[in-house]
Amino acid sequence: MPVTKVHPASFRDPSGFIFKANDGILYRQVNKNFQNDFDEFTSCGLYNDLVTNKILIPHQQIGENLTGSEDYYTTLKPILIPFISYPYEWSFDMLKEAALLTLQAAKEAMKFNMMLKDASGYNVQWFDGKMIFIDTLSFEKWDTTKPWVAYRQFCEHFLAPLALMHYLQIPFQNLLLSYPDGIPLSLVKKLLPFRSRFNLNTYLHLHLHAAYSSKPSTKSEKTIAFSKTKQENLILSLEQSIQSFSLNAISGVWSGYYNEAREREDYLIEKKKIIQNWLSSLSINSAIDIGANEGEFSLLLAGNNISTISVDFDHYSINQLYRKIKESNVLNCTPLIIDFSNPSPAIGLNNEEHSSFLERIKVDLVMALAVVHHLAIGKNIPFEKIGKILSAMGKYLIIEFVPKEDEKVELMLNSGARIYHEYSEEKFLRAFGEYFSILKKEYISDTKRTIYLMHKHEL
Amino acid sequence: MHNYLLYIDPGSGSYLVQAIIAAVLGVAFFFKNILIFIKHWWYKIIRKKTNTP
Repeated sequence: MPVTKVHPASFRDPSGFIFKANDGILYRQVNKNFQNDFDEFTSCGLYNDLVTNKILIPHQQIGENLTGSEDYYTTLKPILIPFISYPYEWSFDMLKEAALLTLQAAKEAMKFNMMLKDASGYNVQWFDGKMIFIDTLSFEKWDTTKPWVAYRQFCEHFLAPLALMHYLQIPFQNLLLSYPDGIPLSLVKKLLPFRSRFNLNTYLHLHLHAAYSSKPSTKSEKTIAFSKTKQENLILSLEQSIQSFSLNAISGVWSGYYNEAREREDYLIEKKKIIQNWLSSLSINSAIDIGANEGEFSLLLAGNNISTISVDFDHYSINQLYRKIKESNVLNCTPLIIDFSNPSPAIGLNNEEHSSFLERIKVDLVMALAVVHHLAIGKNIPFEKIGKILSAMGKYLIIEFVPKEDEKVELMLNSGARIYHEYSEEKFLRAFGEYFSILKKEYISDTKRTIYLMHKHEL
Repeated sequence: MHNYLLYIDPGSGSYLVQAIIAAVLGVAFFFKNILIFIKHWWYKIIRKKTNTP
C-alpha cells in the first residue's frame, strides 16, 4: 500500500479527507459515498462558477487511488496554500470577509440547486490577498424542503464572534481560540448587550436561536417544511447582518505608531533604504515581519516579491494593514494577530487539528524591527530565548537593537517597567551569537539604534 | 440537571428555530419591499413634478 499520511484535521467529514502522499504533496480523496454529490458538483457547473468567481480553491482531478483505500472514488490535487492561518489569528475585517465569502458560496450553490453543508471558519483560508473557500466536498444536492444544515455552525463560527466584537467594540479573537467548534450561542446571548435585541437580525439569529438551540429536539422537528424562498431570505438576512457589523475601536498601544514615527520621517526612510539594500543582495522568497504594526516594512518586503507574514499582537494595527492590502491589491502579504510572547498553540483533537503558529512558520527571513526592547524590557524575556525562537523560524534575520539610552526605552523604564539590568547591546550580541553570525551592521543616523543582518549558524 | 442536552444532534436544535426565523423574515421582507415600492413611486412623482415647467 502506498505510504500516505492523513491530515490530522481531516477526520470529521465522511465524504473524504486530505492526505499527504509520499511525493510530499497534499491531496484530497473523495469517498465513494460522496460520488453522486461530487459528480453533480462538477457536472452542473457549480465548480467552474466558484473557481471563476475566485470563491473556491481550484483543483486538478487525478484518476489514481493514492491511498489504496477501498472507499476511494477519486483524488483531487488542490492548489497549495503556502501558509495556513486560523480564524483566531484574523482581524475583524478578515473574519467578516470570510463570513461573507461563505454566504456567497452558499448563494452560488443555490443557483445550481446545490447547498453548502459545512460553514466552518476553518474551511476558509487567506490566499493571494483574499479569503478563499478550501473545502471542495462541502457542496451537496439541495433538498429545498429541509432547513439549512449548516445554519447553526455559521452562526457560531461567524455571526456570533462578529456580533460580539461589533456590539462590545472589543477584539475577541481569543474567544475563538477557546471555542474552535464555534462560540456557544448560549454564551453569546449572555455576553451581548441588551440593546442588541432591538436589531431584528441579531435578535433572530442569536438571541432567539440561542433560546431554541438549548432545547432538546423533537421528532416533529425533522419534518419541518422549508422552501427555496425561506432559505434565500435566511441567507440574505445573515448577509445584511454581517455587512452592518464593524469594529473601529482604536484598541492598541501601537495605534498611531507610524503617525508618531512620521515625525521622525528620516528615521523610517533610512531604515527602509538599509533593508532594501540588503534585500537586493539576498535570495529571499518568504519572510515574517514580527511586530509589523500597520505593515510599513511588511509592504516593503512584499514589494520585493517576498511572501510576507505580518504579525502583531495589536488588533487595530493588523486590521489597518488588512485594509491597506485590500486597497492596494497586495497579493503576497498575510496579516495576522500573533503575540510573540504567547503565539497560537496547537489545538483540537490530540492537539493536532490546528497546529501551533511556531510549527507553521518556516521562512527564509525573519525581520524584527524595534521590537526586541519591548520583549526584553516590557515582557522580561531574556535575549537567549528571543534568539532561540527567532532562529527556529528562518535562516536570515534583520533585527534592530534599541539601546537603553534611546528615548523610547527611557520612556518605558520611566513608566514603571522593571529595569532590566541585562539589557545592553553587548549582552544582546553575545546571546544572539549562540544562534546567528553577523553579516552586516548599520547605524541609523541621528538615533542610537543599530540594525543587523544575521545568518543562522549552519548545523 | 439537564443531561439530556448532551444528546442533542448539533444541527437539529436549529431546525425549528430556522422555520420560525424564516417565517418572521418572510413577513419583514414583504413589508420592506412594499416600503421600497412606495418610496420609489413617491420619488418618481416628485421628480416628475420638479421636471414639469
